[in-house]
This record gives sequence, C-alpha cells and structure tokens, in this order.
Amino acid sequence: MIPTQWFLILSAVLFAIGVCGVLTRKNGITIFMSIELMVNAVNLTFLAYARQFHQLHGLIFVFFVMAIAAAEAAVGLAIFISLFHHRATIDVDEANLMRW
Amino acid sequence: MITYAVFFFFAAVAVIFALVVILHRNPVVGAMSLVASFFALAVMYVLLDAPFLAALQVIVYAGAIMVLFLFVIMLLNLQKQAEEPTRPIQQFLGYAGSAAFGIGLVYYLSKYAVMELPVGPFVADARAVGVKLFEAYIFPFEMVSILLLAAIVGALVLSGRAVGERAEIGTEVSK
Repeated sequence: MIPTQWFLILSAVLFAIGVCGVLTRKNGITIFMSIELMVNAVNLTFLAYARQFHQLHGLIFVFFVMAIAAAEAAVGLAIFISLFHHRATIDVDEANLMRW
Repeated sequence: MITYAVFFFFAAVAVIFALVVILHRNPVVGAMSLVASFFALAVMYVLLDAPFLAALQVIVYAGAIMVLFLFVIMLLNLQKQAEEPTRPIQQFLGYAGSAAFGIGLVYYLSKYAVMELPVGPFVADARAVGVKLFEAYIFPFEMVSILLLAAIVGALVLSGRAVGERAEIGTEVSK
C-alpha cells in the first residue's frame, strides 16, 4: 500500500498549481478550471484521510463536493456567458463594475 | 511494486497536465488537459480503495462538467480572442506566492505528516457508500438535490436573454 503522505504531497502540489492559475491568468474560463483543479486536490486529500482512518465520511464528502462543483460550474459558466453578451469578452479585468 | 510504479506515473501525468492547464494560452487545450488530469486522479482514487468515487470522477467530472466547459468555450468562440498577459508584478507575485505556498506545504507534509498505514482492508465500494449516504447523510443528500435544482434555474436565468428581449420574441411568435 502506498503511504498516505505521498497522496497528501501530490494533493498539495496540485492545489498550489491551481492557486498559481487563479493568480496569474486573466481568462475567466481558465481561472474556473484552476478552481476545479483545487477542488480535486482537496478531494484527493479527503480520500487519503478516509483510507488512513478507515472512515466513510471522507467519501461522502467527496460525493457532495462533486455535486456542488457541478452546480458551481453551471452557474459560473452561465455568468460568463452573460458577461460575454454584455462586454464581448471574458477577461476578468473587464468585469470591473463593482470594483472599488 | 507495480502499485508504486502506477502511482508515480499517474502522479506525474496529473501534475504535468495540470501545469498545461494553467500555462497554455488556448482554453480548449486547457480543458482537454484538465480531463486528462482528472483521469489520472481517478486512478489515484482506485489506489485509495475507492472504486465507486473513481467511476464518479470519470463520469461526473471528466464527462459532464468538462463537457459543459468545452461547450461554453466553443459557444463563445474563445480561441480567436488572444488573452492579454497579466501585469509583470502580478505574474511575479502569483508565481512566487503560489510556489512558496506549495513548497512550504510539501515541506510540512513530508516532515510532519508521517503516518502508519492502517491494518486490514478498507471497503469503500458502491454498497458501503450508498448505505452511509442513505442512512446518516439522507438530509444533506436531499439538500444537495434542491441545490442542484436551484443551480439549474439560476443558470437558465443568467444565460437566457433579458426580459424585454424575451417579450419581443414572444410577441413575434404569437403574431
């Protein structure tokens, strides 16, 4: 069996990559995909600890995270479509109506 | 020994394709790379004795959610729009900050997160997850179904046309 620690390290690397994508990109869809990457990194951590402690709660949480990620993707992409209709771009710097 | 080889191969696949997602300029390439990364993560779930969630990962994430992304990218025709690069200071702070965060986290985990593996098999197949889901977690399960319904309605309202436009279309049709 592979040590739990290695899964945690892989998860940390994937999460850091996702953070990097959110901070350095401007394309709204790419930022969204980076967020999905971070969500998946957290899912991997949940499953690693679920196996470590022989608990099924981690798996149930991953199930709920997947459902909520689906809802989030639907609403977020709808927001981007709406933004594209109004501004003809999905550059997140252009969506500055509520910016101070 | 073979499980270690599988782990390292698919860990490398997941990390490399994740890097392609954040570094490639074309969002379609990014979306396909993300699908590949999700497949590699599904293999990780199998290694963690959770075959049911590995199947869900492939069907729900790589199948449904990423198809939604690809549809939106194609609908908006984003390949033609060149993405402006972010400001250099933002680039530097983003890369340096996330690298520091990642290295710190990996250092902490490799030093302090040493855990002994549990003894005995861990059964986390569809039956075990289903029994847990419909006994202890039945109320959150129903709540999630309502949340998904709300998300559908929200997505329809947000991506649809404005109310005035819709009224005009309605009158045209009725004529």
